[in-house]
Amino acid sequence: MENGRIAIPSMEAGGLDGKRSGHFGHCDTFTLVDVKDGAVDKVSTLANQEHIQGGCMVPVNLLADNQVNALVVGGIGMRPLMGFRQAGIEVYHDDQRQDIRPVVEDLISGRLAMIADDQVCGGGNQPSEREEIT
Amino acid sequence: MIHHLLVTPDRSSFADLSLAIEARGGFISWADSVHQALTSLSKINVDLVVADETLGDMTGLEFFKRVIAVNPMVNGAAVSSLSKEAYHESSEGLGLLMQLAPNPGKAESERLMANLNRVLQLTPAKRQETSR
Repeated sequence: MENGRIAIPSMEAGGLDGKRSGHFGHCDTFTLVDVKDGAVDKVSTLANQEHIQGGCMVPVNLLADNQVNALVVGGIGMRPLMGFRQAGIEVYHDDQRQDIRPVVEDLISGRLAMIADDQVCGGGNQPSEREEIT
Repeated sequence: MIHHLLVTPDRSSFADLSLAIEARGGFISWADSVHQALTSLSKINVDLVVADETLGDMTGLEFFKRVIAVNPMVNGAAVSSLSKEAYHESSEGLGLLMQLAPNPGKAESERLMANLNRVLQLTPAKRQETSR
């Protein structure tokens, strides 16, 4: 990524040295990383909104309204994935690492893959413990 | 006005639900088949889709897999007589508001309307963009 804004579902206060949340709908906050010329330019946080059953589009709208271009998840359901895609937000996948910084660095350097349709929760796929169902 | 699309081959099964919607001033469109429902969703903006348990050759839950491919923004609820655990497994990733019992009654319909209102209150910007 050369330029854009990355959102990372995060635990507690978030931040580049914080921990990722495995459940984006229920995360405490989103860490927002602004990328300029292929490097971290600015880091901020965005409080998550209330999560209710069926409220998949709440985080989609929240991140779209805050000009997010890319999101990194440990897992996601098909509906919110389709919602993010419709909103023009690319969804990347990493279900192994809890630290925010290395995931952000990998996304910026092009070493993080976008989530595939067969990696979503539900639809016959078996979610891992860290994956999220919204 | 909140727009509801009720999908069922038997409108009488949604009698109480339709009364609850109308009592709140909501607008109802009906679809008797999956094809008719998907056609409607490609043409009109809808806030909530409610699907009956069986729709021709597919279940309401299977229908919602098609709905999110057409419009993931639309909210949904499905009639299902599955156990809570089986419903959770079958509806995983579909982001449905709630499971409805067959022939949902007044109280259940009111809970659905309340849940829908909570979601719509949290997504006001998107509602403005999609409202007719």
